[in-house]
Amino acid sequence: MTCEQARLQMLGETEGQDLAAHMASCEACRNELSRIGAMWQSLDLLPLEEPAGQVRQRFYEMLGAYRQGLSSAEPRKTYRWWQLAAAAALLAIGLGIGYGMRGNGQVPAEVSQLREEVASMRQLVALSLMQQQSASERLRGVSWAYQAEPSDREVLEALLTAVNHDTNVNVRLAAVDALRRFSASPETRRAVVEALPSQTTPLVQVALIDLLVDFKEREAAGALKTLAANRDVNDGVRQQARWALEKLQ
Amino acid sequence: MLVNTKDNAVMAEVSAGQVARLALLFERHHRALFRYFVSMHGDREQAEDLVQEVFVRMLRYRTSYDPAQSFTAWMYQIARNSAVDHVRKRGAVRVVDIDTFAERRAELVSASPGPEESASHGQNLALLRRAMDQLPEDKREILVLSRFQGMKHEDIAEVLGCEVGTVKVRIYRAIRALEQIYFALEKEKVS
Repeated sequence: MTCEQARLQMLGETEGQDLAAHMASCEACRNELSRIGAMWQSLDLLPLEEPAGQVRQRFYEMLGAYRQGLSSAEPRKTYRWWQLAAAAALLAIGLGIGYGMRGNGQVPAEVSQLREEVASMRQLVALSLMQQQSASERLRGVSWAYQAEPSDREVLEALLTAVNHDTNVNVRLAAVDALRRFSASPETRRAVVEALPSQTTPLVQVALIDLLVDFKEREAAGALKTLAANRDVNDGVRQQARWALEKLQ
Repeated sequence: MLVNTKDNAVMAEVSAGQVARLALLFERHHRALFRYFVSMHGDREQAEDLVQEVFVRMLRYRTSYDPAQSFTAWMYQIARNSAVDHVRKRGAVRVVDIDTFAERRAELVSASPGPEESASHGQNLALLRRAMDQLPEDKREILVLSRFQGMKHEDIAEVLGCEVGTVKVRIYRAIRALEQIYFALEKEKVS
Protein backbone atom coordinates (compact mmCIF):
# COMPACT_ATOMS: atom_id res chain seq x y z
CA MET A 1 0.00 0.00 0.00
CA THR A 2 1.34 3.45 -0.93
CA CYS A 3 1.12 6.50 1.32
CA GLU A 4 -1.49 8.02 -1.00
CA GLN A 5 -3.69 4.92 -0.80
CA ALA A 6 -3.25 4.80 2.98
CA ARG A 7 -4.34 8.42 3.38
CA LEU A 8 -7.55 7.78 1.46
CA GLN A 9 -8.31 4.81 3.70
CA MET A 10 -7.71 6.74 6.93
CA LEU A 11 -11.18 8.27 6.98
CA GLY A 12 -12.84 5.15 5.61
CA GLU A 13 -15.60 3.04 7.08
CA THR A 14 -13.40 -0.01 7.65
CA GLU A 15 -9.75 -0.46 8.48
CA GLY A 16 -8.11 -3.24 6.53
CA GLN A 17 -5.01 -5.21 7.46
CA ASP A 18 -3.07 -3.50 4.65
CA LEU A 19 -3.67 -0.11 6.25
CA ALA A 20 -2.63 -1.36 9.68
CA ALA A 21 0.58 -2.82 8.21
CA HIS A 22 1.34 0.41 6.34
CA MET A 23 0.74 2.54 9.41
CA ALA A 24 3.03 0.37 11.47
CA SER A 25 5.91 1.00 9.09
CA CYS A 26 5.30 4.63 7.96
CA GLU A 27 5.88 7.46 10.41
CA ALA A 28 4.73 10.16 7.99
CA CYS A 29 1.32 8.48 7.63
CA ARG A 30 1.03 8.01 11.38
CA ASN A 31 1.57 11.75 11.83
CA GLU A 32 -0.93 12.49 9.09
CA LEU A 33 -3.53 10.24 10.71
CA SER A 34 -2.97 11.91 14.04
CA ARG A 35 -3.56 15.37 12.50
CA ILE A 36 -6.50 14.77 10.22
CA GLY A 37 -7.96 12.16 12.58
CA ALA A 38 -8.14 14.78 15.32
CA MET A 39 -9.87 17.23 12.97
CA TRP A 40 -12.26 14.47 11.85
CA GLN A 41 -13.13 13.55 15.44
CA SER A 42 -13.54 17.19 16.48
CA LEU A 43 -16.47 17.54 14.08
CA ASP A 44 -18.42 15.34 16.48
CA LEU A 45 -18.19 18.08 19.10
CA LEU A 46 -20.19 20.61 17.13
CA PRO A 47 -23.59 21.12 18.76
CA LEU A 48 -26.53 19.58 16.94
CA GLU A 49 -29.27 21.91 15.78
CA GLU A 50 -32.82 20.83 16.67
CA PRO A 51 -35.78 21.74 14.48
CA ALA A 52 -38.67 23.66 16.04
CA GLY A 53 -41.76 21.74 17.13
CA GLN A 54 -43.92 23.14 14.34
CA VAL A 55 -41.94 21.14 11.76
CA ARG A 56 -43.73 18.01 12.97
CA GLN A 57 -47.09 19.79 13.09
CA ARG A 58 -46.67 21.08 9.54
CA PHE A 59 -45.72 17.64 8.29
CA TYR A 60 -48.76 15.92 9.81
CA GLU A 61 -51.06 18.63 8.48
CA MET A 62 -49.56 18.19 5.01
CA LEU A 63 -49.87 14.39 5.24
CA GLY A 64 -53.49 14.63 6.38
CA ALA A 65 -54.33 17.02 3.55
CA TYR A 66 -52.60 14.77 1.02
CA ARG A 67 -54.51 11.71 2.23
CA GLN A 68 -57.80 13.60 2.08
CA GLY A 69 -56.94 14.74 -1.42
CA LEU A 70 -56.17 11.16 -2.43
CA SER A 71 -59.47 9.78 -1.16
CA SER A 72 -61.50 12.59 -2.74
CA ALA A 73 -59.62 12.08 -6.00
CA GLU A 74 -60.64 8.41 -6.16
CA PRO A 75 -63.32 7.87 -8.85
CA ARG A 76 -66.80 7.80 -7.42
CA LYS A 77 -68.87 4.73 -8.16
CA THR A 78 -72.02 5.19 -10.21
CA TYR A 79 -75.16 3.25 -9.35
CA ARG A 80 -78.24 2.20 -11.32
CA TRP A 81 -81.65 3.20 -9.96
CA TRP A 82 -82.50 -0.32 -8.85
CA GLN A 83 -79.25 -0.57 -6.96
CA LEU A 84 -80.07 2.65 -5.12
CA ALA A 85 -83.56 1.41 -4.39
CA ALA A 86 -82.25 -1.89 -3.15
CA ALA A 87 -79.67 -0.06 -1.02
CA ALA A 88 -82.39 2.18 0.47
CA ALA A 89 -84.55 -0.84 1.23
CA LEU A 90 -81.65 -2.67 2.80
CA LEU A 91 -80.78 0.42 4.83
CA ALA A 92 -84.36 0.64 6.12
CA ILE A 93 -84.35 -3.04 7.02
CA GLY A 94 -80.91 -2.63 8.48
CA LEU A 95 -81.99 0.31 10.63
CA GLY A 96 -84.98 -1.66 11.85
CA ILE A 97 -83.23 -4.83 12.79
CA GLY A 98 -79.64 -3.64 12.91
CA TYR A 99 -79.22 -3.83 16.61
CA GLY A 100 -80.68 -7.32 16.66
CA MET A 101 -78.13 -8.39 14.09
CA ARG A 102 -75.14 -7.20 16.11
CA GLY A 103 -72.71 -9.94 16.98
CA ASN A 104 -73.43 -12.23 14.05
CA GLY A 105 -70.11 -11.37 12.42
CA GLN A 106 -71.41 -9.40 9.43
CA VAL A 107 -69.74 -6.00 9.26
CA PRO A 108 -70.46 -3.48 6.48
CA ALA A 109 -67.49 -2.88 4.19
CA GLU A 110 -67.38 0.86 5.03
CA VAL A 111 -67.25 0.13 8.74
CA SER A 112 -64.59 -2.47 8.13
CA GLN A 113 -62.59 0.01 6.07
CA LEU A 114 -63.01 2.66 8.74
CA ARG A 115 -61.82 0.24 11.39
CA GLU A 116 -58.75 -0.57 9.33
CA GLU A 117 -58.08 3.13 8.91
CA VAL A 118 -58.37 3.77 12.65
CA ALA A 119 -56.12 0.77 13.43
CA SER A 120 -53.58 2.03 10.94
CA MET A 121 -53.54 5.49 12.52
CA ARG A 122 -53.21 4.03 16.03
CA GLN A 123 -50.33 1.89 14.86
CA LEU A 124 -48.72 4.89 13.23
CA VAL A 125 -48.96 7.06 16.33
CA ALA A 126 -47.64 4.26 18.58
CA LEU A 127 -44.69 3.52 16.29
CA SER A 128 -43.84 7.18 15.73
CA LEU A 129 -43.88 8.02 19.43
CA MET A 130 -41.82 4.98 20.37
CA GLN A 131 -39.00 6.30 18.18
CA GLN A 132 -38.78 9.68 19.88
CA GLN A 133 -35.67 10.85 21.76
CA SER A 134 -37.66 11.90 24.79
CA ALA A 135 -38.47 9.07 27.22
CA SER A 136 -41.85 10.62 28.09
CA GLU A 137 -42.80 10.59 24.40
CA ARG A 138 -41.76 6.95 24.15
CA LEU A 139 -43.90 6.19 27.20
CA ARG A 140 -46.83 7.79 25.41
CA GLY A 141 -46.06 5.55 22.43
CA VAL A 142 -46.22 2.48 24.67
CA SER A 143 -49.63 3.66 25.98
CA TRP A 144 -50.87 3.90 22.40
CA ALA A 145 -49.74 0.32 21.84
CA TYR A 146 -52.66 -0.77 24.07
CA GLN A 147 -54.99 0.48 21.36
CA ALA A 148 -53.29 -1.48 18.59
CA GLU A 149 -54.77 -4.72 17.32
CA PRO A 150 -53.38 -7.76 19.21
CA SER A 151 -52.38 -9.13 15.81
CA ASP A 152 -50.33 -6.03 14.94
CA ARG A 153 -46.86 -7.50 14.45
CA GLU A 154 -45.21 -4.17 13.83
CA VAL A 155 -46.30 -2.75 17.18
CA LEU A 156 -45.28 -6.04 18.81
CA GLU A 157 -41.82 -5.71 17.27
CA ALA A 158 -41.53 -2.10 18.50
CA LEU A 159 -42.50 -3.17 22.05
CA LEU A 160 -39.95 -6.00 22.05
CA THR A 161 -37.29 -3.58 20.82
CA ALA A 162 -38.21 -1.24 23.69
CA VAL A 163 -38.00 -4.09 26.24
CA ASN A 164 -34.58 -5.17 24.97
CA HIS A 165 -32.91 -1.91 24.05
CA ASP A 166 -34.61 1.17 25.52
CA THR A 167 -32.21 3.08 27.74
CA ASN A 168 -34.97 4.20 30.11
CA VAL A 169 -36.14 1.70 32.73
CA ASN A 170 -39.66 3.17 32.91
CA VAL A 171 -40.12 2.69 29.18
CA ARG A 172 -38.85 -0.90 29.43
CA LEU A 173 -41.26 -1.62 32.30
CA ALA A 174 -44.22 -0.07 30.49
CA ALA A 175 -43.36 -2.07 27.36
CA VAL A 176 -43.27 -5.32 29.37
CA ASP A 177 -46.78 -4.57 30.67
CA ALA A 178 -48.05 -3.70 27.20
CA LEU A 179 -46.88 -7.10 25.92
CA ARG A 180 -49.78 -8.72 27.83
CA ARG A 181 -52.02 -7.57 25.01
CA PHE A 182 -50.01 -9.74 22.63
CA SER A 183 -50.04 -12.89 24.80
CA ALA A 184 -51.80 -14.96 22.14
CA SER A 185 -48.75 -14.86 19.90
CA PRO A 186 -46.19 -17.68 20.46
CA GLU A 187 -43.63 -15.20 19.14
CA THR A 188 -44.32 -12.87 22.10
CA ARG A 189 -43.84 -15.69 24.60
CA ARG A 190 -40.62 -16.84 22.97
CA ALA A 191 -39.29 -13.27 22.81
CA VAL A 192 -40.07 -12.66 26.51
CA VAL A 193 -38.17 -15.86 27.45
CA GLU A 194 -35.24 -14.72 25.32
CA ALA A 195 -35.30 -11.21 26.83
CA LEU A 196 -34.94 -12.49 30.40
CA PRO A 197 -31.18 -13.34 30.44
CA SER A 198 -30.17 -10.02 28.86
CA GLN A 199 -31.95 -7.82 31.42
CA THR A 200 -29.89 -6.52 34.31
CA THR A 201 -32.37 -4.21 36.05
CA PRO A 202 -34.14 -6.09 38.89
CA LEU A 203 -37.45 -4.24 38.34
CA VAL A 204 -37.59 -5.28 34.70
CA GLN A 205 -36.43 -8.83 35.51
CA VAL A 206 -39.26 -9.23 38.04
CA ALA A 207 -41.81 -7.77 35.59
CA LEU A 208 -40.71 -10.24 32.91
CA ILE A 209 -40.91 -13.16 35.35
CA ASP A 210 -44.45 -12.13 36.36
CA LEU A 211 -45.41 -11.89 32.70
CA LEU A 212 -44.11 -15.41 32.01
CA VAL A 213 -46.14 -16.75 34.94
CA ASP A 214 -49.24 -14.98 33.60
CA PHE A 215 -48.54 -16.50 30.18
CA LYS A 216 -48.16 -19.93 31.90
CA GLU A 217 -45.07 -20.28 29.73
CA ARG A 218 -43.44 -23.59 30.65
CA GLU A 219 -40.69 -23.08 28.06
CA ALA A 220 -39.30 -20.45 30.43
CA ALA A 221 -38.16 -23.06 32.96
CA GLY A 222 -34.57 -23.16 31.64
CA ALA A 223 -34.09 -19.39 31.72
CA LEU A 224 -35.69 -19.17 35.18
CA LYS A 225 -33.45 -21.94 36.59
CA THR A 226 -30.36 -20.19 35.25
CA LEU A 227 -31.50 -16.93 36.83
CA ALA A 228 -32.33 -18.56 40.17
CA ALA A 229 -28.88 -20.18 40.29
CA ASN A 230 -26.89 -17.05 39.37
CA ARG A 231 -25.35 -15.55 42.52
CA ASP A 232 -24.60 -12.29 40.72
CA VAL A 233 -28.32 -11.65 40.31
CA ASN A 234 -30.29 -9.61 42.85
CA ASP A 235 -31.65 -11.80 45.72
CA GLY A 236 -35.23 -10.63 45.19
CA VAL A 237 -35.06 -11.56 41.52
CA ARG A 238 -33.68 -15.02 42.29
CA GLN A 239 -36.45 -15.53 44.82
CA GLN A 240 -39.04 -14.45 42.24
CA ALA A 241 -37.53 -16.87 39.70
CA ARG A 242 -37.82 -19.76 42.19
CA TRP A 243 -41.44 -18.78 42.89
CA ALA A 244 -42.17 -18.71 39.16
CA LEU A 245 -40.63 -22.16 38.69
CA GLU A 246 -42.97 -23.57 41.33
CA LYS A 247 -45.95 -21.87 39.70
CA LEU A 248 -45.13 -23.20 36.27
CA GLN A 249 -44.64 -26.80 37.39
CA MET B 1 -40.97 -13.24 10.26
CA LEU B 2 -41.72 -9.78 11.62
CA VAL B 3 -42.76 -6.99 9.31
CA ASN B 4 -39.77 -5.34 7.65
CA THR B 5 -39.58 -1.78 8.93
CA LYS B 6 -36.39 -0.83 7.12
CA ASP B 7 -36.55 2.45 5.26
CA ASN B 8 -36.63 0.87 1.82
CA ALA B 9 -39.53 -1.42 2.75
CA VAL B 10 -41.49 1.44 4.36
CA MET B 11 -40.96 3.69 1.33
CA ALA B 12 -42.08 0.82 -0.93
CA GLU B 13 -45.33 0.74 1.07
CA VAL B 14 -45.72 4.51 0.68
CA SER B 15 -45.09 4.05 -3.01
CA ALA B 16 -47.80 1.37 -3.15
CA GLY B 17 -50.38 3.76 -1.68
CA GLN B 18 -50.00 3.47 2.10
CA VAL B 19 -49.06 7.14 2.33
CA ALA B 20 -49.59 7.33 6.11
CA ARG B 21 -46.44 5.21 6.46
CA LEU B 22 -44.44 8.27 5.44
CA ALA B 23 -44.83 9.40 9.06
CA LEU B 24 -42.35 6.71 10.12
CA LEU B 25 -39.76 7.97 7.65
CA PHE B 26 -40.41 11.54 8.77
CA GLU B 27 -39.80 10.61 12.42
CA ARG B 28 -36.60 8.81 11.49
CA HIS B 29 -35.07 11.40 9.18
CA HIS B 30 -36.45 14.91 9.62
CA ARG B 31 -33.82 15.92 12.19
CA ALA B 32 -30.95 14.73 10.01
CA LEU B 33 -32.38 16.54 7.00
CA PHE B 34 -32.85 19.70 9.04
CA ARG B 35 -29.21 19.56 10.19
CA TYR B 36 -28.08 18.97 6.62
CA PHE B 37 -29.85 22.11 5.40
CA VAL B 38 -28.70 24.19 8.40
CA SER B 39 -25.11 23.01 7.91
CA MET B 40 -25.27 23.87 4.24
CA HIS B 41 -27.02 27.23 4.42
CA GLY B 42 -27.17 28.26 8.06
CA ASP B 43 -30.78 29.44 7.99
CA ARG B 44 -33.08 27.55 10.37
CA GLU B 45 -36.33 28.89 8.98
CA GLN B 46 -35.34 28.03 5.44
CA ALA B 47 -34.11 24.60 6.59
CA GLU B 48 -37.56 23.91 8.07
CA ASP B 49 -39.23 24.90 4.78
CA LEU B 50 -36.86 22.65 2.86
CA VAL B 51 -37.50 19.68 5.18
CA GLN B 52 -41.21 20.09 4.47
CA GLU B 53 -40.49 20.35 0.76
CA VAL B 54 -38.50 17.08 0.78
CA PHE B 55 -41.41 15.14 2.28
CA VAL B 56 -43.91 16.76 -0.09
CA ARG B 57 -41.71 15.64 -2.99
CA MET B 58 -41.43 12.13 -1.57
CA LEU B 59 -45.22 11.92 -1.78
CA ARG B 60 -45.35 13.53 -5.19
CA TYR B 61 -42.70 11.22 -6.67
CA ARG B 62 -43.47 8.19 -4.53
CA THR B 63 -44.29 5.96 -7.49
CA SER B 64 -40.85 6.60 -8.99
CA TYR B 65 -39.10 5.13 -5.95
CA ASP B 66 -37.23 1.90 -6.67
CA PRO B 67 -36.99 -0.27 -3.51
CA ALA B 68 -33.70 -1.69 -4.78
CA GLN B 69 -32.23 1.82 -4.47
CA SER B 70 -30.89 3.12 -1.15
CA PHE B 71 -33.62 5.18 0.51
CA THR B 72 -31.05 7.49 2.12
CA ALA B 73 -29.41 8.23 -1.22
CA TRP B 74 -32.82 8.89 -2.83
CA MET B 75 -33.82 11.20 0.03
CA TYR B 76 -30.64 13.29 -0.22
CA GLN B 77 -30.99 13.52 -3.99
CA ILE B 78 -34.43 15.02 -3.37
CA ALA B 79 -32.96 17.29 -0.68
CA ARG B 80 -30.28 18.62 -3.04
CA ASN B 81 -32.78 19.18 -5.83
CA SER B 82 -35.11 20.98 -3.42
CA ALA B 83 -32.32 23.36 -2.42
CA VAL B 84 -31.38 23.96 -6.08
CA ASP B 85 -35.00 24.73 -6.99
CA HIS B 86 -35.17 27.07 -4.02
CA VAL B 87 -32.31 29.01 -5.59
CA ARG B 88 -34.12 29.15 -8.93
CA LYS B 89 -37.33 30.38 -7.37
CA ARG B 90 -35.91 32.94 -4.96
CA GLY B 91 -32.74 33.91 -6.75
CA ALA B 92 -30.46 32.47 -4.08
CA VAL B 93 -30.54 30.26 -1.04
CA ARG B 94 -30.43 32.55 1.98
CA VAL B 95 -27.00 31.97 3.38
CA VAL B 96 -26.68 33.50 6.81
CA ASP B 97 -23.75 35.85 7.19
CA ILE B 98 -20.84 33.77 8.46
CA ASP B 99 -20.03 36.11 11.34
CA THR B 100 -23.64 36.14 12.55
CA PHE B 101 -23.84 32.38 12.25
CA ALA B 102 -20.56 31.81 14.09
CA GLU B 103 -21.58 34.23 16.84
CA ARG B 104 -24.88 32.43 17.28
CA ARG B 105 -23.04 29.12 17.42
CA ALA B 106 -20.62 30.50 19.98
CA GLU B 107 -23.59 31.60 22.10
CA LEU B 108 -25.11 28.16 21.75
CA VAL B 109 -21.86 26.49 22.78
CA SER B 110 -21.03 28.74 25.70
CA ALA B 111 -24.61 29.03 26.96
CA SER B 112 -24.22 26.14 29.37
CA PRO B 113 -22.64 27.18 32.66
CA GLY B 114 -19.24 25.65 33.39
CA PRO B 115 -15.62 26.29 34.37
CA GLU B 116 -13.20 28.48 32.48
CA GLU B 117 -11.95 25.68 30.24
CA SER B 118 -15.52 25.22 29.10
CA ALA B 119 -15.46 28.75 27.65
CA SER B 120 -12.19 28.04 25.89
CA HIS B 121 -13.63 24.79 24.57
CA GLY B 122 -16.60 26.78 23.31
CA GLN B 123 -14.32 29.24 21.51
CA ASN B 124 -12.53 26.37 19.78
CA LEU B 125 -15.85 24.97 18.66
CA ALA B 126 -16.96 28.36 17.39
CA LEU B 127 -13.70 28.53 15.41
CA LEU B 128 -14.34 25.06 14.00
CA ARG B 129 -17.86 26.06 13.02
CA ARG B 130 -16.48 29.18 11.35
CA ALA B 131 -13.96 27.06 9.46
CA MET B 132 -16.77 24.77 8.30
CA ASP B 133 -18.75 27.75 7.06
CA GLN B 134 -15.77 29.03 5.09
CA LEU B 135 -15.26 25.73 3.30
CA PRO B 136 -16.34 25.73 -0.35
CA GLU B 137 -19.88 24.31 -0.62
CA ASP B 138 -18.90 21.02 -2.29
CA LYS B 139 -16.33 20.27 0.41
CA ARG B 140 -18.71 21.23 3.20
CA GLU B 141 -21.42 19.05 1.72
CA ILE B 142 -19.28 15.93 1.55
CA LEU B 143 -18.19 16.39 5.17
CA VAL B 144 -21.78 16.93 6.28
CA LEU B 145 -22.95 13.81 4.46
CA SER B 146 -20.12 11.58 5.62
CA ARG B 147 -19.55 12.85 9.14
CA PHE B 148 -22.81 14.40 10.33
CA GLN B 149 -25.26 12.26 8.42
CA GLY B 150 -23.16 9.09 8.80
CA MET B 151 -23.81 8.05 5.22
CA LYS B 152 -21.97 5.17 3.57
CA HIS B 153 -19.52 6.04 0.82
CA GLU B 154 -21.68 4.08 -1.66
CA ASP B 155 -24.73 6.21 -0.80
CA ILE B 156 -22.75 9.45 -1.04
CA ALA B 157 -21.45 8.34 -4.44
CA GLU B 158 -25.06 7.77 -5.57
CA VAL B 159 -26.16 11.19 -4.30
CA LEU B 160 -23.24 13.04 -5.89
CA GLY B 161 -23.19 10.93 -9.05
CA CYS B 162 -19.56 9.84 -8.79
CA GLU B 163 -17.45 6.76 -8.01
CA VAL B 164 -16.84 5.53 -4.46
CA GLY B 165 -13.10 6.14 -4.96
CA THR B 166 -13.83 9.76 -5.84
CA VAL B 167 -15.86 10.14 -2.64
CA LYS B 168 -12.86 9.00 -0.57
CA VAL B 169 -10.55 11.45 -2.34
CA ARG B 170 -13.02 14.30 -1.85
CA ILE B 171 -13.50 13.56 1.84
CA TYR B 172 -9.75 13.54 2.36
CA ARG B 173 -9.33 16.83 0.50
CA ALA B 174 -12.21 18.39 2.39
CA ILE B 175 -10.83 17.52 5.80
CA ARG B 176 -7.39 18.82 4.78
CA ALA B 177 -8.97 22.06 3.57
CA LEU B 178 -10.91 22.36 6.81
CA GLU B 179 -7.73 21.89 8.79
CA GLN B 180 -5.95 24.63 6.85
CA ILE B 181 -8.81 27.11 7.30
CA TYR B 182 -9.08 26.27 10.99
CA PHE B 183 -5.39 26.93 11.67
CA ALA B 184 -5.45 30.10 9.56
CA LEU B 185 -8.37 31.41 11.64
CA GLU B 186 -6.63 30.46 14.83
CA LYS B 187 -3.50 32.31 13.72
CA GLU B 188 -5.60 35.38 12.86
CA LYS B 189 -7.15 35.29 16.30
CA VAL B 190 -3.78 35.13 18.06
CA SER B 191 -2.25 37.93 15.97
